Amino acid sequence: MSGGFPEALQFSFAAWVNRLVDWLVLHYGDHLRSISDQLLQLLVGLENLLRLLPWWLLLLLVGLLAWHASRSLARALVLPLLLALIGMLGLWDKLLQTLALVLVSTGLCVLVGVPLGILLATRPLARRLVLPVLDVMQTLPAFVYLIPVLMLFGLGKVPAVFATLIYALPPLVRLTDLGLAQIDPSLLQAAHGLGASRWQRLRRIALPLALPSIMAGLNQSVMMALSMVVVASMIGARGLGEDVLAGIQTLNVGQGVEAGLAIVALAMVIDRISQAYGRTGR
Amino acid sequence: MKKLPTLLASLLLAFGLASTDSAAAADQPAPIHFGAIGWESGALTTEILRLIVEHGYGYPTDTLPGSTVSMEVALARNDLQVIAEEWAGRSPAWVKAEQAGQVFALGDTVKNAEEGWWVPAYVIKGDPTRNLKPLAPDLRSVDDLKRYPQVFKDPEVPGKGRFLNSPSGWTSETVNSQKLKAYGLDGLYNNFRSGSGAALDAEIGSAIRRGQPVLFYYWSPTPLMGRYDLVRLEEPPFDASAWATLTDAANPTPKGSRSLPAKLSIGVSKAFRDAHPELVAVFEKVDLPIATLNKALARMSETRQPPREAALAFLRDNPTVWKAWLPAENAAKVEAGL
Repeated sequence: MSGGFPEALQFSFAAWVNRLVDWLVLHYGDHLRSISDQLLQLLVGLENLLRLLPWWLLLLLVGLLAWHASRSLARALVLPLLLALIGMLGLWDKLLQTLALVLVSTGLCVLVGVPLGILLATRPLARRLVLPVLDVMQTLPAFVYLIPVLMLFGLGKVPAVFATLIYALPPLVRLTDLGLAQIDPSLLQAAHGLGASRWQRLRRIALPLALPSIMAGLNQSVMMALSMVVVASMIGARGLGEDVLAGIQTLNVGQGVEAGLAIVALAMVIDRISQAYGRTGR
Repeated sequence: MKKLPTLLASLLLAFGLASTDSAAAADQPAPIHFGAIGWESGALTTEILRLIVEHGYGYPTDTLPGSTVSMEVALARNDLQVIAEEWAGRSPAWVKAEQAGQVFALGDTVKNAEEGWWVPAYVIKGDPTRNLKPLAPDLRSVDDLKRYPQVFKDPEVPGKGRFLNSPSGWTSETVNSQKLKAYGLDGLYNNFRSGSGAALDAEIGSAIRRGQPVLFYYWSPTPLMGRYDLVRLEEPPFDASAWATLTDAANPTPKGSRSLPAKLSIGVSKAFRDAHPELVAVFEKVDLPIATLNKALARMSETRQPPREAALAFLRDNPTVWKAWLPAENAAKVEAGL
């Protein structure tokens, strides 16, 4: 059933892609695995660090962070309580695993996304080239690139970080670009007139002014990273997503809802704290 | 082009615009909906059955995609009429529907289907052509695994081996976790859930291509079995009481046993069973020899053949296999259609 489209005009590059992936696995597989092992050490290390903290200390830290960000006592009480609820559902360890995954992917997002956003705001050519790539990253179904990434980097947390990075990076890049583009050019010209170098103009004027927009982008990235948790569990990254997946596969709706709400609770905690920091930056 | 009205009719049906007795459906009988199974043996069996039903009996057929559980639920509600490969009795959704008399498992389609723990043969024997040394020369049974955790080492938990379990949520995941305990391997091996069937396949495929050792749960009939030289680790013989301790995740002291021999059937809805006794008779006789099937699956996966073409080739190459299932008159019609 190829419809009415003329057969002479049809082609498929599937075989070519398959050969490329096979070739990559054969020649670079072992090499890439050793790189991925190093990233894995970072992830496992962070996870173990989180596990070392007693549960009440982590809740206390979250409470302090919430207060520091928002100066609101209500928030500083409610947010740790949400996390405690996840613990009460028996999902504490999975929460830590998910948290480690989200923290590492978001950290990488910032490392890559903010400089890329700056590049986009300052170089029109880069914008023309990168924007379509961001569109692809946001719309390409995750499993399309997950399976080849998995064959190259191994099963588990590392491909999960890559997948999350690909999916969660675009909003940060776009909003960094937008924040910088909206700055009044006369401010930068004034700084130029006063003898500020490029780096000083960027560091002292442009980035602080664009900070609310960048923080909004970071916030979006974290939210999207959390929504990838279930997909990540489909390639063997343990965490809250695993319970959602198991719940769906066994028609155990209750288990799925519990783990799903735990993801929502974690998202709310991170969202409220990071948004509060975005506002204080204004 | 002939399929267009069928397609339109089924689209209308799907949108609920036409009930079964409307004009669109009256011209042509409503197609028999098969579950579009994603894994290879299921996809191939589906197409084999569709070809037989279409050519031998003249009924139009159609497939609808879905996950295993959603297909089982759809079968119970007669949204689907046939699931060509049903591991009956494995999923709670199926067991519930079967008890309620909404679905039926017909026949025993693949005898000697099995599941267990496997390693690539080169891990034991080595492979001089690829310059691979035998890393675990004395590995025969699950007991021997105690000596080799460092061979299958897990980068996430240094110091332990990695056992690739099936995704969490599969019945086999519970069984394998209990088996790790029963064989005294839970302290030596990390119980690594692979997340999804696709991820499990990709990891095994990548390891074999790179000549790396890998220890995994798998099952047959599958392309993997026909494609690579794999060795199944010996387990204690099947024992019903030990099996009960393995399927119960809460049991603290499980006992070792081979897995319950898998029974693959064709799942049909009650409405289908009532309406098509002649097809039920065929489905009950379906018997696919496992070696032939594994080979066909391996070829289908290696050459990335669409299941429909693979099914045509299977029917052409193995007429003696399927001619035994149906009356001579219908078999002649199928043959004419190939």
